[in-house]
Amino acid sequence: MNVHVVGCNHRSASIAVRERLAFSTEQARTALREFRDRFPGVEAVLLSTCNRIEFYTAAETDSSPSLEQVAGFLARFHGQDLKEILPLLYEYHGDAAIRHLFSVASSLDSMVVGEPQIPFQVKQAYQVAVESQTAGPLLHTAFQTALKVARRVASETTIQQRRVSIPSVAVSDFARQIFERFDDKRVLVIGAGEMAEETIRYLRAEGAGDITIVNRSAERAKELAHRTGGRPLAWEALPQALATADVVVSTTGAEEPIMTVQRFAEIEALRDQRPLFILDLAVPRDFDPAIADRPEVYLYSVDDLREVCERNRAERDKELPKARKIIDEETLRFAADWRHRATGAVIQQLRADWESIKEEELRRLFQRLSQLDERGREEVRQSFHRLLNKLLHPPMESLRDEARHGFPQALLDALSKLFQLKD
Amino acid sequence: MSGVSIICFAASYAVALALELTRLLFRSGVRGAIMLAFGVAGLFAHTLYLFYRVVESYQSAGALGGPFASQKEWYLIAAWLLAIIYLYLTCYHAKVPFGLFLLPLVLGLIGVGVFVADPRPMGREPASAVWGLVHGTSLLLATVAVLVAFVAGLMYLGQDWRLKTKAAISSGLRFPSLERLQQLNSRSLVIALIMLGVGILSGVALNFTRSPGQPPLPWNDPVVLVTISMFVWLLLTGVVGAAYRPARKGRRVIYFTLVSFVFLVIALWSVLSNMTQHLGRGGWRSGGTGRTAGVVHRLSIG
Repeated sequence: MNVHVVGCNHRSASIAVRERLAFSTEQARTALREFRDRFPGVEAVLLSTCNRIEFYTAAETDSSPSLEQVAGFLARFHGQDLKEILPLLYEYHGDAAIRHLFSVASSLDSMVVGEPQIPFQVKQAYQVAVESQTAGPLLHTAFQTALKVARRVASETTIQQRRVSIPSVAVSDFARQIFERFDDKRVLVIGAGEMAEETIRYLRAEGAGDITIVNRSAERAKELAHRTGGRPLAWEALPQALATADVVVSTTGAEEPIMTVQRFAEIEALRDQRPLFILDLAVPRDFDPAIADRPEVYLYSVDDLREVCERNRAERDKELPKARKIIDEETLRFAADWRHRATGAVIQQLRADWESIKEEELRRLFQRLSQLDERGREEVRQSFHRLLNKLLHPPMESLRDEARHGFPQALLDALSKLFQLKD
Repeated sequence: MSGVSIICFAASYAVALALELTRLLFRSGVRGAIMLAFGVAGLFAHTLYLFYRVVESYQSAGALGGPFASQKEWYLIAAWLLAIIYLYLTCYHAKVPFGLFLLPLVLGLIGVGVFVADPRPMGREPASAVWGLVHGTSLLLATVAVLVAFVAGLMYLGQDWRLKTKAAISSGLRFPSLERLQQLNSRSLVIALIMLGVGILSGVALNFTRSPGQPPLPWNDPVVLVTISMFVWLLLTGVVGAAYRPARKGRRVIYFTLVSFVFLVIALWSVLSNMTQHLGRGGWRSGGTGRTAGVVHRLSIG
C-alpha cells in the first residue's frame, strides 16, 4: 500500500514554523493543482490546521514522492528554506501512514486530545482534494475510512465527550445545564482576548447567534467582532448589554472588578428575573463573587471550572488505550481489505476463465441431453454454478488470509502460474 | 396471566427505584438497562392487571365498566400513566435520574390505591355515564399533569441548588437544563389547567343530569371548592405570567407549582377522608344499590 504522509505538527515544529507553512483553503487548492502537475498520477490530500500541516500522497506503483521531494515542494510554495524545514518534518509509509491518519482524524494526535474540530478539518481537507481532483481511489478509501474510524472512536469511547479546556467546559458542562438552546440567547462577551475568542467559538458551535462584544479598546472589540461574526458595542453601553444578556463571558485584564454587587443590583431590576449565566474567566475576577448569591444568577470563575477540566483530563486519559485499540484494529482491517482488493484482478481473471469453461461444458452437455426440459436445465446450471463457487472459495480464502499479513504476491504468482492466467 | 397481582408491578417499580437510588452512590454501565427492564416489566404487569380488572368488572356488572370501576383503580390508573411518563423520559434521557422523583409518586399512588382508596365497584347509569367518564378522565389527567409539573419543579429547584452551590461540578448525576425543566413544568400546568376546566364543566353537567330522586352535590362541597380553587389559582398564575414577565421566569414559577400540588393533595385527602359527599359519601349512596348517577363521578378527585 503506497500511502505516504509528510508533515509537521505541534510536537515537531514551533508555532512560528507552522504559521509559515500553513495553507488557507485557497492556497491548498493552488498547491494541490501544482502538486498534481509536478507529480502526475500521484494522489494527494493536504491537511492544514493550526497544529499540523500534512501532505498525504498515494500511488499505484512506487512512484510516491519522497520526503525530500514533498519538503522541497512545501519550501518552494511558501518561499522557505528547505534546509530549515526538512529536519522538522516527519514521514510515515504504508500501514503506519494509515494508522497516523486514523489517529489524526480521531483527534488522538491533537494537542488537546479529543478536540472535536479535527474530524471536520480532515473532512474539509479531503473535500478540497476531491474538488481539486487530486484524491484517487486509495486516498478516497483512506479518508472515508478515517472519518468512519473517528465516528467509531467518538461513539465507543468518551474521549470527545470530556472537554478539557476552560471555555469548552464552561459551555458544554455548565451553560448547557442552564440553557437548552443558544440560538435564541443573547451572549455578551466582555474583553477581546484569546480566551474570549475561544469561548465564542464554542458558543457558536452550540448555536449561539446573537453575540455582542464590549471592550475598553473599541478597536479590538471591532476586530474580534469581525473575526467571530459578533457585534461590537461601546464600553459605556455595558450596563444595557448586561440587562439584556443571557450568557456573559468576561475576560478583561482589569485589576479591580468591573461589576460590583451594587452596580449589578441596578441592572438586575431591568432583567425580568431571567436566568443569567456569567462565566468570569478573568484573573483577577471581573465580577464580584457576591453577585453569585443573587437569584437566577449562575456565576462561575476559572477556579470553579479548572477542577472539571482536570477531572475530564484524567477520565480522557483512561479512555486512550481503548481508542488506540480501535485505531489498531481499523488499521489492520483497512490494510487487509486493501491488499485483498488488490488481488481482485487475479481472482476476476480466474473466475472468468472458469466461467468460460463452465459455459462451454454446459453447452456441450445440453446438446447431448436435448430431452432435458427448461427446469432440468436450470437445475444443471445451478449445480455447475455452485460447483464453480466451491472450487473458487479455497483460493480466495487463502488470499484473504495472506492479505492480513502483507501483500500476497507469492500466492498470486503461484495462482497465475498454476492456472496459466494471462496478465 | 390473570394471576398478575399488584405486588408484581409494585415490586418491579420498587426495584427500579432502588436502582435509581444507587446512582447517588456509584456509576455503572449496565444499571440503566436493568433499571429499564424492571420498569418495562412493571408497566407490563401493571397494564395486564388493569386490563383484567376491566374484564372482571365487565363480567360481574354485565356491561363494560370502563377504566374507572372503583376509586382504587382510579389511583392505579394515575400510577400507570406516571409510569409510562417515567419510562418515556428514561428512554430519551437515560442519564437523567427522573425515576428518583417519579417512581416514589408512582409507588405512593399505588399505596394509596391499595391501602386507603375505596375498592368497592360501582355501577353507572347510561344518562350520566358519558359525563362521568369525561369528568373522571379529565381530572385523572389533570392530577397526572400536576404531578409531572411538581416533579419538574422539584428537579428545577434541585438543579438550581446544584448550580448555585457548584455541586453540579462534582456530582455524577445529570439533570436536564433549567430551561427544559421550566418548559416541562409550564406545559404540564397548561395541560392541568385545561383538564381541570373540562373536569369542572363535566362535573356541573353530571350534577344536572343526575337521576330523579338523587340529591344534587352541594356546590360548597370541600372537594368541589378545592378543585375550583386550584383551577382559579392555575388560571391566575397563567394570566399574571402572561401580563408580568418576571412571574413566569425562574424559581417563582416553581413555587406556584408547589402551591398547585398542595391544592391537589388537599383535594385527594378530602376525597379519601369522608369529608365530602362528593363520591357518594353520605346522601349520594343512600339509594341502596350504590349504582347512582354519581358512580363515575365518585371515582374522580374533584
